[in-house]
Amino acid sequence: MHSLLSALFYYLWIAPHILLAVILMLMIRRKLYKQFPVFLLYIAFELFQFIVLLTVFLRAGSLADDRYRGAFALGTAISAALRFGIIYEIFTELFRNYHGLSELGRVLFRWATIVLLLIGVALASTHGNGNEFISIVATLDRTVRFMQCGLLMFLFLFSRYFALSWRNYAFGIALGFGILASSELANTAILSWIGKFSDLGKGSDILDYLGMAVYHACVLIWIFYLLAPERETVLTPKQLPEDELEVWNQELQRLLQQ
Amino acid sequence: MIITFVLVVAAFLALGFSVWLIRGRAVAAEVLENPAEHIRAVDVEAFRNLVDPDEEDFLRKNLAPAEFRRIQRERLHAAVEYVSCAADNAAFLLRLADAGRRSSDAATAEAAQKLVDNAIRLRLYALQAIPRLYLGMVIPGVRISPVRIAERYEQMTRQVVLLGCLQYPIRGISAAL
Repeated sequence: MHSLLSALFYYLWIAPHILLAVILMLMIRRKLYKQFPVFLLYIAFELFQFIVLLTVFLRAGSLADDRYRGAFALGTAISAALRFGIIYEIFTELFRNYHGLSELGRVLFRWATIVLLLIGVALASTHGNGNEFISIVATLDRTVRFMQCGLLMFLFLFSRYFALSWRNYAFGIALGFGILASSELANTAILSWIGKFSDLGKGSDILDYLGMAVYHACVLIWIFYLLAPERETVLTPKQLPEDELEVWNQELQRLLQQ
Repeated sequence: MIITFVLVVAAFLALGFSVWLIRGRAVAAEVLENPAEHIRAVDVEAFRNLVDPDEEDFLRKNLAPAEFRRIQRERLHAAVEYVSCAADNAAFLLRLADAGRRSSDAATAEAAQKLVDNAIRLRLYALQAIPRLYLGMVIPGVRISPVRIAERYEQMTRQVVLLGCLQYPIRGISAAL
């Protein structure tokens, strides 16, 4: 049972990063770094972080090693910052073809960020037992995840209301991050609660496995949308409908009179 | 414990939104295949009449206050239906015009771009108008004149017809509008 869990752990840790390397190659080959430079940087950083963490883990032989924990915390912080950049990149890409809406979108996006930050800080301030380092880190992590999840949901709602069309790549990235952010929000919320109880270590292990599995699924989503062909629906003229000629004629006359 | 519970619920809601986003893309594809089936007819003149301040003044003068409030509530309720319907049509046309924007024909692409801009504006106006109409139902004295919706809708109809002249597959829509 233990060896099975161990194999699952290594699979969930290594496999997504191999797939991330594939994403990196695909993005470079398709010159998508021009469109999504921050996402490319994020993928590259995730790979770099994986190599560093794996090396430290193999040398130290334990995930509880201080060097491993330090590298992990630093990597998580940089990764979180890059994710904010990616959300803004998705936002810019989505509004690129909607000039009339981009200014309003920018203002609302800014306000959403401020409101989410305030809510996040308010939630973090309710953290009671401030003596444990892990619990504090988990609470901070929870605040960041909450903001990222909220910003993505704002983006989804806004685009859905205005029926904005998503290109495949942007949609895939946003969908992957949407799922990742929501699962991580639930994960960190439970972890910061568990952090108050030292005897619930098993529960946090299960959450770790779940988090890794969701991350793996999100990487698969990114790959799927990178490989899926872009849907180009262009309407093509076929024949003139006679029943509408009258209406069209009237409207064209109105246009000409303007 | 309560915060954890709230955040976990929020996370599941966010996950639901992500699924909703995938569904939205499927619906958009369906709209492009059968656009005319998704458009609901809107009588712009009837809508203008419903939100006409003169009409409202006339009713106020000729009806008992209680009767006026009841009638006005019903009128505004109908106006909300019209605005929602127009906004829904705008959303469908947005998807349709978005496909037209990628046309290789410059005139079609330009007409589609104008339709996109107008449909977005109409959705924006609807976003402002619907809460105001509901406010008018709660407080009957409040002045509401979402006439811009009607103007924008008419403009959008003309653009649909123009785009229809350039691109055949949206036939049947202008008649519905």
